[in-house]
Amino acid sequence: MKSSTTQSTPTGEIMIQARFPVRIQAGMWPLKNNYKQMKKLNLILAALLGLGLNYSNAQTQKGNVLIKNATVLTVTKGNLENTDVLVQNGIIRQVGKNLSAPAGVETIDASGKYLMPGIIDAHSHVALDVVNEASSPITSEVRMKDVVNPFEIGIYRALAGGVTISHAMHGSANVVGGQNATLKHRWGAKDPSDIIMQDAPRTIKFALGENPTRVHGRGNGIQPRTRMGVEAVLRNGFNEAIQYKKGWETYNTAKGQKGNTKTPPVYNERLQTLADILDGKIIIHCHSYRADEIYMLINVAKDFAITKLVFQHTNEGFKVAPEIAQYTMGASVFADWWAYKMEVYYSTAFNAAILQRNGAITSINSDSAELIRHLYHEAAKTQRYGGLTDEEALAMITINPAKQLGIDDKVGSIEVGKQADLVIFEGHPLSSYTVPQMTFVDGVKYFDIKADPDDQRQFVSATEMVEPIFLHTHENHQCLQDVDAYFEAFQGAFIEEKH
Amino acid sequence: MKRQFLKAGFAGLLISGFLSHAAWSQSDPTGKRRITNTYAITNATIFASPGQPGTKATILFREGVIIGMGPNLSLPKEAQRIAGDSLFIYPGFIDGASSAGITKPKDPERPKDFVSSNPPDEIAGITPWRSATDQFSITGNQVDDWRKAGFTISQVLPDGGMIPGKAAIMILGNSGSVNVIQENTALAANFSGARGMYPATAAGVIAKFRDVYHNTTLALDHSRLFASTSGVKRPEMTPTHTAMAAVVQGQIPVIFKAETDLEARRAIALQREFGFKLVLAGLDNYETVIDLIKSSGTAVLIKLQVPDDKAIKNQKSDSVTTATKAQYARVKEAYDKALKQASLLEKAGVPFGFSTLDAKPGDAMKALRTMIKNGLTEKTALAALTTNPATILGIGKMAGTIEKGKMANFVISTDSIFKEESQIKHVVVDGYIFDYEVKKKSVNGDGKTENEPAAIAGQWDYTSQTPAGSSGGELIIAKNGVKYTGTITYADPSGNGKVTAPIKNVSVSGKKLTFQFDVNAGGMSLTVDITGEITGNAMDGTMSVGQFGSFPLTAKLTTPSLTL
Repeated sequence: MKSSTTQSTPTGEIMIQARFPVRIQAGMWPLKNNYKQMKKLNLILAALLGLGLNYSNAQTQKGNVLIKNATVLTVTKGNLENTDVLVQNGIIRQVGKNLSAPAGVETIDASGKYLMPGIIDAHSHVALDVVNEASSPITSEVRMKDVVNPFEIGIYRALAGGVTISHAMHGSANVVGGQNATLKHRWGAKDPSDIIMQDAPRTIKFALGENPTRVHGRGNGIQPRTRMGVEAVLRNGFNEAIQYKKGWETYNTAKGQKGNTKTPPVYNERLQTLADILDGKIIIHCHSYRADEIYMLINVAKDFAITKLVFQHTNEGFKVAPEIAQYTMGASVFADWWAYKMEVYYSTAFNAAILQRNGAITSINSDSAELIRHLYHEAAKTQRYGGLTDEEALAMITINPAKQLGIDDKVGSIEVGKQADLVIFEGHPLSSYTVPQMTFVDGVKYFDIKADPDDQRQFVSATEMVEPIFLHTHENHQCLQDVDAYFEAFQGAFIEEKH
Repeated sequence: MKRQFLKAGFAGLLISGFLSHAAWSQSDPTGKRRITNTYAITNATIFASPGQPGTKATILFREGVIIGMGPNLSLPKEAQRIAGDSLFIYPGFIDGASSAGITKPKDPERPKDFVSSNPPDEIAGITPWRSATDQFSITGNQVDDWRKAGFTISQVLPDGGMIPGKAAIMILGNSGSVNVIQENTALAANFSGARGMYPATAAGVIAKFRDVYHNTTLALDHSRLFASTSGVKRPEMTPTHTAMAAVVQGQIPVIFKAETDLEARRAIALQREFGFKLVLAGLDNYETVIDLIKSSGTAVLIKLQVPDDKAIKNQKSDSVTTATKAQYARVKEAYDKALKQASLLEKAGVPFGFSTLDAKPGDAMKALRTMIKNGLTEKTALAALTTNPATILGIGKMAGTIEKGKMANFVISTDSIFKEESQIKHVVVDGYIFDYEVKKKSVNGDGKTENEPAAIAGQWDYTSQTPAGSSGGELIIAKNGVKYTGTITYADPSGNGKVTAPIKNVSVSGKKLTFQFDVNAGGMSLTVDITGEITGNAMDGTMSVGQFGSFPLTAKLTTPSLTL
């Protein structure tokens, strides 16, 4: 998070650490170590430097910890037996054997346990107060960052499943949906900006196929009514954005000149955002199922020189895997979830493996507040269906989604210099019997199975009665009988937004 | 002569709608004219401003202005004297944000070429040009109730969508007067989306707010360039831009309705992005943003209400598991915390006022007393009712304290105002005196007051007024030991005929009756809360239906039950 921090030194000097350091000598200002005056001065300086006056917002917490004797699954650098990982100020400082903890740094003995990078879910709707501004075929001006809710219990449940980062996405009603938020699961934060990963690049939701044509075409009688309409909405949108950008460039050049008669164009964040996509500032994450629509978007992207593109769901991705590999940042898919509507019938559990072996960056996502709790199981399914290696399977929920979110230089593997988002597992994380033990974000422990009180809610209503929630009541049910009803009930309990 | 007389009377009638009664010089066919507009309340205990001790004095006011105050005032002959010996006088309360007296305007007709993804501003709830004065009526919904609770001045917000329009400061005075103090005092805004069109959600509303704000700024730039340079194409200021200009130019604040901490943060984030003046109204859950409110210098109007204690009262002590008990404890903790919030705001040094949006007038004093019980000082409670909102609204010169030259707005009570047994006997607004019935203590000396539970058992006929029209039914209450049970009939919301439902949580305290019943509407169960005051065989109350609002309800006890 970019916020300024101030410190005073014994000489009465004030250091303001900001985007650029400013050093002010004591003699420059008529002040001694008067705290109030200093604070006021800082405020003035902060205002001058355009830093915002976000003083009340503390910087997000960064932890120090030494994890000893773990089997470290680095994902990118192989597996290291009996290895220690030292975290200082939220960053992985050392990975090696026989490391000793500096003074004041807690040591955790992970003998016989597995340490892996925090799991990253490239498709989630957890911690959002609003998911779908479903009212227009393009809503690129809408930002999920405006409606993040840090109190949502789903964050803690995700942590209990080892997930440290989730990609909180806009819904799939619109061809171009809203801008997404990449979240770090700093459970306990009260300020939404504290759980937003501020150093992650911008991403945006697109959607093809049945959802936008149903909502806008069939629902409102406007374009897009068909997949052809979806493509038209995209191409028209981008072309308008090019015009829009040009209009502003013309105005901005003319503005300062003498005798200028050019007037400002109408501001339109919707088109500005599309222009930002064309300028490579935003990664597209596109809800898609069918091969034809996937290939369509690849062609649109090529025509508009867009390279930052990830496909979501991508159930027929296996049909166009080489194309996805060649032109895009890959696909984020379900392990084995399909047939919930017509366009998702032609599916296979081998999808992820086929994509992976064709060289596409592939991740496994949840799109569900329930599945997010066991993404490691979902990743393991790629071994049953496709025989991926441990490293390939783990990459599906760590470094690969990190790449797709543009944060692989910061997270997604256990490497010196990366942010210390870590999970300790009892048992190999791809085993059916594995259980996450502790989850760290920036070296701060947010989940510990041994210190896990029942009621983890951050916010409790003063006026609502406590009602017991039963997920299921029959203990002696026959296997798989009524599984549909059970699954529906389960979805109802956890999922607000259906893909 | 006769003709002249008639003419004058007619002119008087005409004027009566616009000017104060002072303009009348002839006969008064309406019979409403006051004998005098000069009053003296003698020898009362006056609390002139928050924190000041009460002093015995006489207060003299004429035409709505305080003209004298002191122990030995010489009173003019025309002054009507009111013996104030046993009375306590406080400055009239000021409501920072209210919907009292406001009627929502009719939705405009949709154009033939309406497209829900790109609706006209007016239909999408973006109507900054509208004024609350056009929607306000002094005889409208709840004005009497809030006045009875001590409120004399109210900043009313227009009803509508995300930017419903401009607020106005009203005096809750005489129905024959023009009661506007100031128009266009703030731009009202909230996070509610439009139904079935863009922007439909809070996320869309925030994006649209940015759009409206940016484009107003640009339209103003354009206008300036047009005014200073020839050869520039003419600006096209839309009604939205024109009406938003006062906000962009910093002349008036945006008064954002924000109930929760997250909404408060969202409004403050927008304020930081654009730099407008911001007032938050209707804060209900704000404990976690007190520091932010303070550091951002945001003016706040907290909701004049405390959470109801139904969830606490319904906690069963036995036959629940340890886990449930632990959850109960958390609800209790949340409840206790909620009651303490106002005192934490005081401790942080934030000078807050109150907003009555979505609050119940009958519970206002109880809410204040609860806040005081939970740490709010009486001084700050009074400041939040008087001087603080006066400052936030910019009317400190004319209102907020009892001083010579200020408006004659008083709350007159039978005891120190925040005491449990204190009752409001008169409210003076704009120099008009409103009298309220005071419940007397019983004379038989057994210490019991008239607050003995009213007899409610029997058959009642009730009528309720909702936006859907007038409706009614039968209410049967039976006493069962110390408990009450019964049934209520109501018009089936999903079709024809009447439905009978059991009533629950019936409680009578003094003259106050409360109970609940559940309505099944389209598979959704709603709890309806009825609160009423019983006078003899009649009940005057309100019916609140979840988040849909409160509506007036009256009932008559047609067949009192004789076998108790």
